[in-house]
Amino acid sequence: MDATNIKRDDPMYDAPLRKTELDVQQNKIAARDVQVYYGDTHAIKDVSVDILDKTVTAFIGPSGCGKSTFLRTLNRMNDTIDICRVEGQISIDGDDIYDKRVDPVQLRAKVGMVFQKPNPFPKSIYDNVAYGPRIHGLARNKAELDEIVEKALRRGAIWNEVKDRLHAPGTGLSGGQQQRLCIARAVATEPEVLLMDEPCSALDPIATAQVEELIDELRQDYSVVIVTHSMQQAARVSQKTAFFHLGNLVEYGETSQIFTNPVDPRTESYITGRIG
Amino acid sequence: MPVTWLFLIVLAIALAGYFAGRARVASASGGDRPHSLPNYYGWNVALKALVPALLVLAVWLVAQPFVVSTTVSAQLGEGAVPEGSTIGLVMSDVRRVADGLDAAVEQGLMSASEASGLDAATSNVRDRLAEAGAAIGGSVSPEVLAAAQTWRAMTATGTLMMTAVVLALAIGGAAWGWLQTSAEFRARNSVEGAIRIILLGAACIAILTTLGIVLSLIGNTIQFFRIYPASEFFGSLTWSPSFGGGSQLGIWPLLWGTLYISFIALLVAVPIGLFAAVYLSEYAGPKMRAWAKPLLEVLAGIPTIVYGLFALLTVGPLLLSVFGRDGLGWMQAGTAVMTAGLVMGIMLIPFVSSLSDDIINAVPQSLRDGSYGLGATKSETIKQVILPAALPGIVGAVLLAASRAIGETMIVVLGAGAAARLSLNPFDAMTTVTAKIVSQLTGDADFASPEALVAFALGMTLFVMTLGLNVFALYIVRKYREQYD
Repeated sequence: MDATNIKRDDPMYDAPLRKTELDVQQNKIAARDVQVYYGDTHAIKDVSVDILDKTVTAFIGPSGCGKSTFLRTLNRMNDTIDICRVEGQISIDGDDIYDKRVDPVQLRAKVGMVFQKPNPFPKSIYDNVAYGPRIHGLARNKAELDEIVEKALRRGAIWNEVKDRLHAPGTGLSGGQQQRLCIARAVATEPEVLLMDEPCSALDPIATAQVEELIDELRQDYSVVIVTHSMQQAARVSQKTAFFHLGNLVEYGETSQIFTNPVDPRTESYITGRIG
Repeated sequence: MPVTWLFLIVLAIALAGYFAGRARVASASGGDRPHSLPNYYGWNVALKALVPALLVLAVWLVAQPFVVSTTVSAQLGEGAVPEGSTIGLVMSDVRRVADGLDAAVEQGLMSASEASGLDAATSNVRDRLAEAGAAIGGSVSPEVLAAAQTWRAMTATGTLMMTAVVLALAIGGAAWGWLQTSAEFRARNSVEGAIRIILLGAACIAILTTLGIVLSLIGNTIQFFRIYPASEFFGSLTWSPSFGGGSQLGIWPLLWGTLYISFIALLVAVPIGLFAAVYLSEYAGPKMRAWAKPLLEVLAGIPTIVYGLFALLTVGPLLLSVFGRDGLGWMQAGTAVMTAGLVMGIMLIPFVSSLSDDIINAVPQSLRDGSYGLGATKSETIKQVILPAALPGIVGAVLLAASRAIGETMIVVLGAGAAARLSLNPFDAMTTVTAKIVSQLTGDADFASPEALVAFALGMTLFVMTLGLNVFALYIVRKYREQYD
């Protein structure tokens, strides 16, 4: 699929693409007419969106609006739920990820995910980070693995805190440290896209600030998609924002534009706190 | 049936008290909302009537026969015991005569005054009691008859007193609760306190029973070690009891048999049970799970004697046809360590699998998500995340299964043979501690001989072993639980 053609066909994105620097950035993920059903419930309706590389995209919306569900379609995590059915087309770098030939397991190595609650494995800090590289055979020997682990922990901005106790259990860290460990763990498999499902909702304000800072740094290398309930957080960390409501993508655009000058009245109501 | 009637009367008092309490608070509050819901006032009265009365009733019922029998046997004295008999035998005669007299009065064969005025010298007590359906061994001596009369008198007064005390307690309790009832009275707190005490009582009974079992074993065990040296019991490698005396009672052949059979059982049960648990909790769809799990648990409901028959009739002959004289020639008979071990392993499969299933399900879904999110497959996730996380719990389950295997009796009796021997060949017949406890205590051996008393020492050893395993298992399971909380 040619990503540029899609953009022109879709009038919704014409205006912002022309007047900003976004059109020089590469398009990473393209979703077209995505429908998600949980049994008989139609959870996501006709969502089409383009997510850019080296950009933080925030999904906002009231609880139950489908933003997390949509996030999980991007790395086919919904496949692990029996009653979940996805229709439509989602492609990463032009390759359809719901194609029969695509191995969802390989896809998830390419599209990393960080969850709402920090979920370190009950293993050592080192083994937590080395888990992905080990199963994907990214290191040929111990020295290489050490290097990957160190690099990932540095990217996760937690290296200095844990370098002296790499073999202590990951579950013994504080909540904020655990979440940064989980980000490091996701980064270690060298993903191209990083999905974050409310990564700060279980953290205190200081840990949240640290993780937000980290997200901003990660933008240099990855396309980051973050689901958040905090509009301040979306405004702080993201460049693009998508507003979901009742399973529909209501509005998608520059974060600054969404928060200052929303087009759709529903977006405005949500941002000003009238629905939510 | 005075006790049944008494019980019903106490229940009726409590029921009446319940309604009285409810009614009183409704009228006493006079428009104000009482502290608690009306039901609580009712329960407060009912519990105060019921609990002390029933407690006293239970204690009295247990204690009265003790008191009566001590008094009566003191009255009989040494002189009433004929040559070659014991006080216990005489006392059972006394009890039978007393019961017979009661039965005769009840059936109308004797009047109450006739029964209490009976004279052993003039009337044939034995024949008259036989009419009432009470069989007495010999002719009834005057001393026994007198003792029986005392017995009857004491029991009658005791029962009367018990009835009075219990009824007084029930009525008093109900009255106390009823008088307490007012809008300000905190009936809810009072009832909840009472419920807490009832629950505590239930827990205490369970614990005290365990203690009682241990104490009853300890007495006989000490008696055994008085007449048989402990160094022989724990040091000898031979088990050859002979009731004529001069037996060798070394525990090692039995312990070896127990551990060998348990080991084979675990070798069968742990992998199969664990794999079944992994399949059921991780791979099976909801439909498959819905019928496979109950089916697997049916295995746990089969009585062990049926497993024993399965070992004796099916598994033993099957093994014999392969490893016996017609086959490899390792096996002499169908009963062997292997037979018992295999069948016991089958018995333990549902035990291991349902415990492991619970433990695997307790591993948080977030860990699975985390692993899948990193691009791990299902089997990688199970091998590297779920099983390591569940491992302490699984070890605990295995240890619990081991303590069941060690205590298992029926399968061993029917499947393993009866020869106490130390051998490495799993196709030899061997026996276990439990099977030998059964064989030492059944039959008409003298209960005071070391050959019979050894059963208590064996039981004690077994108890200590399984207790140790259980404590260790619980410690491990608990330690595991703390990881996620």
